[in-house]
Amino acid sequence: MLSKNDIDLYKQFVKTIFKMRYKGSILGFLWVLLKPFFMFIILFVVFSSVSGQVGNLTSKQYAVYLLSGLVIYTFFNEGITWGMGSIMERANLILKINFKRDIVVISALTMALINFCINLMIVGVIGTVLDIQFSVIGVSYILLIGLVMFLGMYGISFFTSIWMVYVRDLAHIAELGLQLMFYASAVFFPIELIPERYRFVVEYNPIAIYIQTVREALTHKNIINLDFILISLAVAIVLVLVGRLYFKHSVKRVAEHF
Amino acid sequence: MNENIAIKVNNVSKQFKVPVKGQRNTLQERFLTPFHKTEHREFNALKNLSFEVKKGEFFSVIGPNGAGKSTLLKIVSGIYVPDEGEVLVNGDLVPFLELGVGFNPDLSARENVYLNGTILGLTKKELDEYIDGIFDFAELRDFADMSIKNFSSGMAVRLAFSIAIRVKSDVLVLDEVLAVGDAEFQRKCYAYFDKIRGQKSILYVSHALDSVQKYSDRVLWLKEDKTYEIGEPEKIVNAYRNAN
Repeated sequence: MLSKNDIDLYKQFVKTIFKMRYKGSILGFLWVLLKPFFMFIILFVVFSSVSGQVGNLTSKQYAVYLLSGLVIYTFFNEGITWGMGSIMERANLILKINFKRDIVVISALTMALINFCINLMIVGVIGTVLDIQFSVIGVSYILLIGLVMFLGMYGISFFTSIWMVYVRDLAHIAELGLQLMFYASAVFFPIELIPERYRFVVEYNPIAIYIQTVREALTHKNIINLDFILISLAVAIVLVLVGRLYFKHSVKRVAEHF
Repeated sequence: MNENIAIKVNNVSKQFKVPVKGQRNTLQERFLTPFHKTEHREFNALKNLSFEVKKGEFFSVIGPNGAGKSTLLKIVSGIYVPDEGEVLVNGDLVPFLELGVGFNPDLSARENVYLNGTILGLTKKELDEYIDGIFDFAELRDFADMSIKNFSSGMAVRLAFSIAIRVKSDVLVLDEVLAVGDAEFQRKCYAYFDKIRGQKSILYVSHALDSVQKYSDRVLWLKEDKTYEIGEPEKIVNAYRNAN
């Protein structure tokens, strides 16, 4: 049961995180758009000049290809990291007030989702400038994948945010794992460039599959891996339901272990 | 639960295991000494404690440091879970274990009113309505858009208090809220106590024995050996004074 206050509290948390990130800078909110934009431009210039023609992609397609991979990976990275740290970060508040604890988890995930949407829009703008045609069905499919990832990470965060309180090393382990995931997800290069015998790393890696799927939807307007996406959706929903139960049960004892 | 009861604490016990050499929250410690059980010192914060706070009652808790007063407030507030026994609360409960919970020094006073107010259970709509009154009462109208980090501690406490008195709940848990402010602030607090007496049920912890004696309907004295006494304010406060 959500009360009006719970929803307001959720908005307050998201707003505060958002404000704090750019507080004190002259351009303020503009950085939300400028930073990923310039980041993308830098990567595009560096990688397109290094690789020239990559696989069967034109250099314009390659730009979108590269950026969409980054957008998905960044979403994954931020969702996992912020979701995991959400309870620890609010330790002070949790020790003082009896608000609904799951609000901090969903707030952290919402921040990652907002960033994801902003990044996606920037890719859209860059793609349009580069004269790439997007299809409605392709874009809808990408949003579905975003939703699947959001739910999956939300479910995972119900567990990791609690574990983090007991085993602080999790922050460092996750950082390494995410770094590994970055290279195992073929963010910067087409899968075809990976030698056959190592390709399983990418083929069994859900993030790599999401990235491939998004890329196909963006550059070739193809809907691939539909069955995998639907299975992921089901798994994500189960994760959220089970995670919620676990969280509700475990979060009561967390305050004693800060 | 009986309608006339606001808080029912039923046979509550709470034990903490305090690691003798600090908390072992990293894997390194578990890897290096996998079979070595951490040395814990067990510490009974509360033992078989039972009492009831009636609707509209001002119920105070006194006792020396380490008697379990803060633990009790945290359990009643739902922040800790008791090892044994249970706590039942009739109605909405808001704990004030600290004033200005969630205040963010980098945000403006106005933003902090919304943040802190929402944390204390108010909705945005209610805060829209109260915000002018909050700044007037805190005498901080001209500072609404200043960052809290530029506030003196007195200003911050005044602001926090002005928000706190708007809270809607029927049951309040107050931990030493008076310890922070100056004389003027304390006068305001007492005026507030006078106003809400009989309307809200209050569980109050304080070392200020005079105020406990003046405002309480009943007093609980928690002792270091985990026994306790409940009774008339004058009798219990005097007994506590004589014991020290």
